[in-house]
Amino acid sequence: MTLFWLSVGFGFVTASVLAISAVGLSLQFGITNYINFAYGDYMALGAYFTYVLNVEFFHLEIWIATLFGSLLMGVLAVFVNRFLLSPFARRFNKTFYVMIVTFGLSLVILNVVYSIWGPNVRAYSMPIERVVHIGPFLLTKYQLITMVIAVALMLGIHLMLKGTRIGKSMRAISDNTTLAMTSGIDTKRITTITWFLSGSMAGLAGTVLGITEGNLTPAAGELFLFVIFAAVIVGGVGSIYGAMAGALLIGLATEVSVVFISAAYKLDVAFVILIFALLFRPSGLFARPGKD
Amino acid sequence: MSAFWYYVFTLVFVMFDYFILAMGLNIQYGETGILNFAYIGFVALGAYVTGASSLPPSAGTGQQYIMGWGIPFPFNLLLGGLAASLLAVFVAVVALRRLRTDYLAVVLISFSLVFYDITNNYVPLFNGADGLYNVPEPLASVFKLTTNSFVPFFAVVAGLIALIMWWAMSRITNSPLGRTFRAIRDDDGVAAALGKGVFRYQLTSMLIGAFYAGVGGGLLVQFGGSFNTSSWLPAETFVVFAVIIVGGVGNNVGLLVGSLLVETLLIHLPAFLPDIPGHPGLIQYIDTMVVGVLLWVMLWFRPQGVVPERVRKTPLSLLQGLKSDRTANAEVPAMSLVDGAGVVEEGGVRD
Repeated sequence: MTLFWLSVGFGFVTASVLAISAVGLSLQFGITNYINFAYGDYMALGAYFTYVLNVEFFHLEIWIATLFGSLLMGVLAVFVNRFLLSPFARRFNKTFYVMIVTFGLSLVILNVVYSIWGPNVRAYSMPIERVVHIGPFLLTKYQLITMVIAVALMLGIHLMLKGTRIGKSMRAISDNTTLAMTSGIDTKRITTITWFLSGSMAGLAGTVLGITEGNLTPAAGELFLFVIFAAVIVGGVGSIYGAMAGALLIGLATEVSVVFISAAYKLDVAFVILIFALLFRPSGLFARPGKD
Repeated sequence: MSAFWYYVFTLVFVMFDYFILAMGLNIQYGETGILNFAYIGFVALGAYVTGASSLPPSAGTGQQYIMGWGIPFPFNLLLGGLAASLLAVFVAVVALRRLRTDYLAVVLISFSLVFYDITNNYVPLFNGADGLYNVPEPLASVFKLTTNSFVPFFAVVAGLIALIMWWAMSRITNSPLGRTFRAIRDDDGVAAALGKGVFRYQLTSMLIGAFYAGVGGGLLVQFGGSFNTSSWLPAETFVVFAVIIVGGVGNNVGLLVGSLLVETLLIHLPAFLPDIPGHPGLIQYIDTMVVGVLLWVMLWFRPQGVVPERVRKTPLSLLQGLKSDRTANAEVPAMSLVDGAGVVEEGGVRD
């Protein structure tokens, strides 16, 4: 039973990382309507930006480095959209073309990361902390902070979407771009803001993935991307709250599965859940009108 | 035989093999409009089945694998193709019936990753991450071939097989079946309204394409004698997409050109270059980046590929002097996987 509760604790950690990344992906998908296959590489790049600030230069404290690394990734995502993705999206109205472009982007970013930092496993410089007992859970301070960040961020996204003008515009564009445009919403500006948010959250997710796992490799983000996809689809594509719920479900399921089957098949559990979700509830837990 | 000719024939083999692979993906994506992002999974299954069925029983070989029937050359290849087709039925029934475009792509690419994961971790299936090795060289004993003379010999065999499969593929694409495929690609709603069972045709297209994938994969394992999980990372599917997009979607000659340009010259040729001292693997990284950039450039300047799909004229359209407007305007890509500019309303899940 102890093992079970321990893995539930780890499940919450994975769910936190997943929630940050899944909401970032979902936000961008809701606005631009194509899937960004380079998202996993955005995560990796963000994680390496943090690595540069934390280890190679400046030697910033890990969470400060995380903040700047994530924001840097957000800025880069805006530029990539401005000069690569949005021209293609404007020119071709078939999502396939943009999808292939993001696939190419993923190849380019991954290999840039490989060329600069090499395939070796690296780690952030963090002071070693004792593990903390909280109820039945056993977690490090870094894992706890990750969970706090995730919860705070989800709350922030919720308040932004419901309360602010930008958030309302985002929801409007996500529901119906043409209608939003004719209602006087500056779709270009909102798209830019969304890419900044999405890129930053990718960078943040990549970094906390590196922090909680204790290591970072160039391909880690790409592997994780499929778990994110599972969370997003199980939750209901385009629904932010669905992405949060999907992240919690997939995060817990993958970690708790370790109690019953070999840890090598952790990722496959996410996929099995995805298949069952598609068979029995194809529009996701939080289906949204107009998206299914 | 000098090392030079050894390399040349290796490249020739790669060209023919990827031509077969490209034809398989082209009938699924280029002709029928199915975004099969799990394609490399079918290739791998074909390779594993071809290899494992031609190997002797696994006891005592130091490897663990299923089958081990010692089936001779053309038949094991056929078995590989059929196994891939069988997998296609499963994938189509689970995913294709319910999903379209983006969602299908995501599910298929996840599927290929899971297949990869299982092959890697479950050793008794196909020897885990080590993969199959010592796969017998086909027909080597019949023609008394040495390791050196096997390479040009098998390049020619692959060429012959590619030729036969090319002929079969043009029969399919020029038949009413191929016409129905393209109708579904251009607008599956219209095809359904005309009484075509869209799913049944998509399934057929998946079956044929997967067979090509399986045979292409089988040839790979027969040529190299070994096959493991490092040779088919899920992102490899993208390379086959690059081949057909650069060469020309929907045109078989274009696929041969694409396979020569992308796979042979861009991906395999630099692999023979010596490493830059102090930077192991850098050439390969740059090489892969070039493939990504080439795709952007091609999609931007020539989305129809080097050899575009030809405008097909039916007797009726010739009679009326009509021209298919589908491929008439090169600026507008032929495929209509998601209709119209108002993609917001486009659904992901088929009801």
